[in-house]
Amino acid sequence: MTSAVRRLAGPAAAAALAAAVVGYVGAVDPNQAGHYPTCPFLFVTGFYCPGCGSLRAIHAMAHLDLLTAVDRNPLTVAAVPLLLWTWLRWTRRAARGRARTWAAPPWAVWSLLGVILGFWLLRNLPGLEWLAP
Amino acid sequence: MRACGSVVVPLPPILYGEVTPMSTDGPYPPSAPEPDPGAPAPYGQPAPYGQPGPAQPPAYQQPGAYPGGYPAQPVYGAPAGPPPDNFLVWAILSTVLCCLPLGIVSIVYAAQVNDKWLRGDVAGATESARKAKQFAIWSAGVQAVVLVLIGIFYVGIFALALGTASTAP
Repeated sequence: MTSAVRRLAGPAAAAALAAAVVGYVGAVDPNQAGHYPTCPFLFVTGFYCPGCGSLRAIHAMAHLDLLTAVDRNPLTVAAVPLLLWTWLRWTRRAARGRARTWAAPPWAVWSLLGVILGFWLLRNLPGLEWLAP
Repeated sequence: MRACGSVVVPLPPILYGEVTPMSTDGPYPPSAPEPDPGAPAPYGQPAPYGQPGPAQPPAYQQPGAYPGGYPAQPVYGAPAGPPPDNFLVWAILSTVLCCLPLGIVSIVYAAQVNDKWLRGDVAGATESARKAKQFAIWSAGVQAVVLVLIGIFYVGIFALALGTASTAP
């Protein structure tokens, strides 16, 4: 019993941290200047990075405004179901006390890298402003 | 070509029946096809090697009967046991939150972990995992430094503004 509790400490801590971050970003509006530091990449280069707009997307999702969230950063919204699924698998594994035996197929990880890099480029191009935050 | 079929497909019963009467030097079938001129061609072909892989050692009984015929242990699939952590989540977090090329490098190494692991390269996968972790940490470290520099920049502008305000007539 205690060992199961100890094994579930990791997933529980991750869930608590995620809830705290969503709660904070939902309460403290990133749309107002001065609440959060600017993205260093945007600050230095003037270009958007793939993560730009993710705070505003999390804020919108915390207020259940999915359309605005997709408008700010579609990758952040797409990451939510993926993270939930990974977290569920992690929790189930921890509850059963099993080690991870599954490794994501390499093509999936490589295409994820491609999507991030492509998104980074495309959202800075003229004519694709709808991808920009 | 026909020798290939007679060597590989029929297992001991037929081979023994054919070989033992004419050659008494060895009880094992491989000694008979070796001097046969038709034999080298089938041995050079990959087909007989690939298909009866698991069935071949029992057919020839002796591992030493084939010097250098087989690579010792070709590894095709993922090794047994849990794969190393590829730190992909940290790599992506450090890319997205820190917006730095170091985070991209970390993702590349994270992708290599699974790639090498599923090809059976345990040492390479572990090494890539170590580097993925390393670059994610460096990315976060550089991010912290940049944030501090931005803070100093703003404080400097603020101080400059105060200075000009106070010296203004």
